Amino acid sequence: MPTENLSDRRMSKFKNKGKEPTKMRDRRIAECVELRKAHKVEGIMKRRNISSVGDEEPLSPEYNTDNKQVISEAIQEIVANVNSDCSEKQRQGCQAARKLLSRERNPPLKEIVEAGLLTRFVEFLGRNDDPTLQFEAAWSLTNVASGTSWHTQQVVEHGAVPAFIALLASPMLNISEQAVWALGNIAGDGPSYRDALIDCGVIPALLARLTPDAPVGYLRNLTWTLSNLCRNKNPFPRFSAVQQMLPSIIQLLHHSDKSILSDACWAISYLTDGPNERIDVVIKTGVLPRLVELLGFEELAVVTPALRSIGNIVSGSDLQTQAAIDAGVLSALPLLMRHPKSSVQKEAAWAVSNIAAGPCQQIQQLITCGLLAPLVDLLRNGDFKTQREAVWAVTNYTSGGTVDQVVHLVKCGALEAILNLLQAKDAKTVLVILDAINNIFLAAEKLGEVDKLCLLVEEVGGLDRIEFLQNHENNAVYRAAQALIEKYFSEDGGDQCLATEATDSNFVFGASDVQKRFDF
Amino acid sequence: MELNDRNLQTLTEYLQKTLSPDPAVRRPAEKFLESVEGNQNYPILLLTMLEKSQDEVIRVCAAVTFKNYIKRNWRVVEDEPNKISDPDRTAIKANIVNLMLSSPEQIQKQLSDAISIIGREDFPQKWPDLLTEMVTRFQSGDFYIINGILRTAHSLFKRYRHEFKSNELWSEIKLVLDTFAQPLTELFKATIDLCQTHATDINALKVLFSSLTLISKLFYSLNFQDLPEFFEDNMETWMTNFHNLLTLDNKLLQTDDEEEAGLLELLKSQICDNAALYAQKYDEEFQPYLPRFVTAIWNLLVTTGQEVKYDLLVSNAIQFLASVCERPHYKHLFEDQNVLTSICEKVIVPNMEFRSADEEAFEDNSEEYIIRDLEGSDIDTRRRAACDLVRGLCKFFEGPVTGIFSGYVSSMLTEYAKNPGVNWKHKDAAIYLVTSLASKAQTQKHGITQANELVNLSEFFVNHILVDLKSPNVNEFPVLKADAIKYVMTFRSQLPKEQLLEAVPLLVAHLQAESIVQHTYAAHALERLFTMRGANNTTLITSTEMAPFTEQLLNNLFKSLAIPGSSENEYIMKAIMRSFSLLQEAIVPYIPTLIGQLTHKLLLVSKNPSKPHFNHYLFESLCLSIRITCKANPDTVNSFEEALFPVFTEILQNDVQEFVPYVFQVMSLLLEIHTSSIPSSYMALFPHLLQPVLWERTGNIPPLVRLLQAYLEKGAAAIASTAADKIPGLLGVFQKLIASKANDHQGFYLLNSIVEHMPTDSITQYRKQIFILLFQRLQSSKTTKFVKSFLVFINLYCVKYGAIALQEIFDSIQPKMFGMVVEKIIIPEVQKVSGPVEKKICAVGITKILTECPAMMDTEYTKLWTPLLQSLIGLFELPEDDSIPDDEHFIDIEDTPGYQTAFSQLAFAGKKEHDPIGDAVSNPKILLAQSLHKLSTACPGRVPSMLSTSLPAEALQYLQGYLQAATVQLV
Repeated sequence: MPTENLSDRRMSKFKNKGKEPTKMRDRRIAECVELRKAHKVEGIMKRRNISSVGDEEPLSPEYNTDNKQVISEAIQEIVANVNSDCSEKQRQGCQAARKLLSRERNPPLKEIVEAGLLTRFVEFLGRNDDPTLQFEAAWSLTNVASGTSWHTQQVVEHGAVPAFIALLASPMLNISEQAVWALGNIAGDGPSYRDALIDCGVIPALLARLTPDAPVGYLRNLTWTLSNLCRNKNPFPRFSAVQQMLPSIIQLLHHSDKSILSDACWAISYLTDGPNERIDVVIKTGVLPRLVELLGFEELAVVTPALRSIGNIVSGSDLQTQAAIDAGVLSALPLLMRHPKSSVQKEAAWAVSNIAAGPCQQIQQLITCGLLAPLVDLLRNGDFKTQREAVWAVTNYTSGGTVDQVVHLVKCGALEAILNLLQAKDAKTVLVILDAINNIFLAAEKLGEVDKLCLLVEEVGGLDRIEFLQNHENNAVYRAAQALIEKYFSEDGGDQCLATEATDSNFVFGASDVQKRFDF
Repeated sequence: MELNDRNLQTLTEYLQKTLSPDPAVRRPAEKFLESVEGNQNYPILLLTMLEKSQDEVIRVCAAVTFKNYIKRNWRVVEDEPNKISDPDRTAIKANIVNLMLSSPEQIQKQLSDAISIIGREDFPQKWPDLLTEMVTRFQSGDFYIINGILRTAHSLFKRYRHEFKSNELWSEIKLVLDTFAQPLTELFKATIDLCQTHATDINALKVLFSSLTLISKLFYSLNFQDLPEFFEDNMETWMTNFHNLLTLDNKLLQTDDEEEAGLLELLKSQICDNAALYAQKYDEEFQPYLPRFVTAIWNLLVTTGQEVKYDLLVSNAIQFLASVCERPHYKHLFEDQNVLTSICEKVIVPNMEFRSADEEAFEDNSEEYIIRDLEGSDIDTRRRAACDLVRGLCKFFEGPVTGIFSGYVSSMLTEYAKNPGVNWKHKDAAIYLVTSLASKAQTQKHGITQANELVNLSEFFVNHILVDLKSPNVNEFPVLKADAIKYVMTFRSQLPKEQLLEAVPLLVAHLQAESIVQHTYAAHALERLFTMRGANNTTLITSTEMAPFTEQLLNNLFKSLAIPGSSENEYIMKAIMRSFSLLQEAIVPYIPTLIGQLTHKLLLVSKNPSKPHFNHYLFESLCLSIRITCKANPDTVNSFEEALFPVFTEILQNDVQEFVPYVFQVMSLLLEIHTSSIPSSYMALFPHLLQPVLWERTGNIPPLVRLLQAYLEKGAAAIASTAADKIPGLLGVFQKLIASKANDHQGFYLLNSIVEHMPTDSITQYRKQIFILLFQRLQSSKTTKFVKSFLVFINLYCVKYGAIALQEIFDSIQPKMFGMVVEKIIIPEVQKVSGPVEKKICAVGITKILTECPAMMDTEYTKLWTPLLQSLIGLFELPEDDSIPDDEHFIDIEDTPGYQTAFSQLAFAGKKEHDPIGDAVSNPKILLAQSLHKLSTACPGRVPSMLSTSLPAEALQYLQGYLQAATVQLV
């Protein structure tokens, strides 16, 4: 089947007869260019603290403006106060800055940085004598660090990291919490700051605060920061760091708070989004049964990362996938495939597509656990992204499944459903479907039922669609369609010749004289 | 080449000459231009000319030459020299956009094409300012310029619609979006505002509406791969405006032309596509807008006329509704009975009506009409779209829709009954409606295979179809007659047999209708009915049932070939073939007349073969005549030869390439029928069959091999005695064929026939050469297919000449060769041999090697004895090994030939499978047991000891079974 000339990694790993069968699993492609809005369901990379303190007055109206003049004057005043030697004024300035940085819309992050305030704020972090000042400075810096990479960089380059790590141990819970938060923002910026934090010993300092009596709000922040320390690839966080964090993350996975559960799940999902040895580390903790349990939760915020983690794990080796199956994932998936949210359906279909890429024993388990009916439903009625994943599931299934298994899938209605999807406005999906059709034909060949299959394809309007694809602008699609038509739907075949010596009337018979030893 | 007036002048002169109709002037000028195009400044000179020349023709000519130059040379191919100098490249890119925009339309189009060719290579990396340059022009306010930019952008971006997702592609799209999306949106809004300002200025509107259409196309390209963040954020702007444009009508923009779509139609079609794209791919985000679009598109359909110019718009619009109504969460938009009724009434029924354009095609362009109507190549027609919508609606609303339509069908039939002469189109629509409603699944081979149970097809046949078929005047209301015939054909699997039998003589009568569509449909319907299968896999309609109509059928079929326009009608010829096949010996009395008519036809078409299908069925019909007649009386083969050979000779002498492979097949069929020696007429042809030129055409190879096999089977002795000098030429053919991976099996067919039939003495001298050639091929490119054929051949050789002969000839080529072949080829590969006859040959051959070859018992080959026996038992007992090594996986694809050389195999010239061993060995397992027994009695004790020391238990168990079955024991 003409699957050559495809740059996509997923396609290049696609199993073909005679190719290495274990390479079929789909990896989430790293660092992909995105056209879409940043995904709403992903874990949050950075957060700004926009709460207000207890009985504090709301932001005065003159601060809540986009008028440059007003903002600039306000910042002038803050600079004056912060740079003064009077603690009271410092506190006042710091608080004003924090309020500005905490307003809902357009906080003047850049203006604050450019006013040169960060040096002072970082200095204030060390003022154990003045907890209020410490707190206000920590809050301000947290919010600056929640901005773009440039903003985070400003905070780090002003030396905030060691100061925040030291603050983790602060006896004042609100200060420690603010430090946790700021460090979370810094860790969320990317792999290099994440590793810088790890090098500075952030993990033991954080874990030291993970005590049974810690309040839920505090634990939420802590979990989120831990999840950011697990996050990002190229490179991944080093193994020793992961090993340090994992027991605590597993512990948090058993907490009753939804938000904690969600971030702990996200942490697991980041850790499993990598090569098989990364996945192994997670599986060895024995977390799988709990993850499967979490798949059954109502809260989307928990289900989404739990499902993502499971999806990542079943994209690993056959053994890792089997571990997930043994933990019961196949009984959880049908419900998720029928989940009201299409994003969940899509992730579930993705997981199924990877399980279908496994050996035929695992495919058999898909059948036994009743996943084919919901799969065909998704092919028929899912939204486009879900259908696309479901199509992959069919293609993987048909290339790795036994003849009987393929027949079973066709009987469940998958063939008709994918033939309908040949109208999809996406060249890759169409090509993947053509591949599945080819696989199904190969199975039919083994059964001597090609003619029957031809009729079936034609009956449901598939032949028309495949013929139509011979006009497709995409070369690979048109060649694949043409190959199917030529091989199965046309009666003509042909031959080809090589040259041999000949005169006008005869071919010359006789072996050339060059004698060499035959050795086969 | 310097940039000066003299060079400009020279180039102008040569360009002028390239326009000359006289090749003697034109060719040298083209050559000259080609010879100088490698020079620096050449493209710049062309650009200067197209900008500044006083001569309009030269300007256009320079533009075309420039575009072609860019097309040939711009791409830098790895390891090849850069054909355009870097300064020229830079200069071109710096000026071309400006130049395009300031040029008149004809030149603008060429330059726009050139920009997109350059863009394909250089954009975005090597042409970073192109986009900004383009965007800046949006502000020019000059829509002539703006449309130039939009067209160029469209040709740059349209590939986003069909390329695979990749990081490279998406980075480019991202870049385009960042620079282009916002200005495009502003332009979109501004253009719409301008349409209002200029609502009464037709010229301004025309320009503005072409801009809007181009903008809508760009929207489609930019949104195709995924929903970009920008467009998600600005969906309100775009969709609201799209929606308004869909509902907009402007009298000024309506065109008088009935055929060509106007600006308004083009724009709305594109908007329908855009909405369909969002509905399919970005359902979640588009949901709030969808109902509005359904209503707008629906209103659009209701208000759009029947003219051809609206076809694309209407079919796009209907397809949009069809795709939406199938989706479960939009079901509610359609489920109201009133909505369904008006969709049926106002959208579906009107678009199923037979229009005057259809009527014209039916009469004047019947071939195209038939292709569209019968073979379903009507993807974009209104009728097709309407049918798809019916099918879509039936997914959720089969009952209500059927109910509504039944009402329409009866009212249309009533209308028709009132005044058939005037209202016949109502009946046509009624039949079409019934057909589209009833058909749920359909194939060419069986017609409708699944029907809507709510429609009573049989009753409709009796009440409305039969009347038209029975009408005494076959030439009245030809469209309705064609509809009636098509109804029978379409629902043949659903109608009871009595009704089909009732229809058959009526269809025969319609073969005489003047209308081409009508008699073609009649022939096609009969052909389809004759292929239907009944119980026991026999034909549904039997020869006996056809007896009363046989003469009429054959007469009318041949007469219809005489109707003007149908002289090479493939449907009729196929019906002739199918009738022969069904009627079998019933045609024998008519053969003398029929064969005359067929050969006459053959003579006519061989002058200029133009209808491949017609010709194919003509040859099939000839084969059937021969087979059927000679089956009853083999002696009649001579009269066929008498009738056919003159035409065949002409075909071969004139080398009518399309027909030569057919002629060889018919000749093979004839020769195989002969029971006594080979006629001299065939022997005279023999030397010509070995001519290399014939074998160069790949389509000739299979039929020629088959023909040579027939020669060998019937005339091996004659060849040996009278044409011994041709034997090397014959073997030369074998040698040529085995050199090709694609044809090696054909070479083996030939070789097997030679070994089987040629007298031993006549080939003894060539044997060693034959094996050397085979070994050379085995050495140089060993493929599974070759090895399978090779195994069959050496075993056949062993069966024919004995195991000792085989061993000796191998070992004479190279010491220990025999052992190597047994060890490296036979033992590991024999499991791959496929086909019962092939397996039998191998089994008998290997049995002989095991039991009749002393070297296997007494030399170092002895160690191979048990493994060979084991592989033979494997051949008997294990499933066939159909695995193909990795490196051979793509051989099939590489060797897939092009279409033009395809070999057209005649189904009715088919050959029975030949078993060279035949009844001599009925059960090879018994033969093995008996042979082993014989061997063991010759050297008592040795066989059991070899078995017990190294044959695995499982194999031994099978072997015991064979021995028991043969009631022998080993000693």
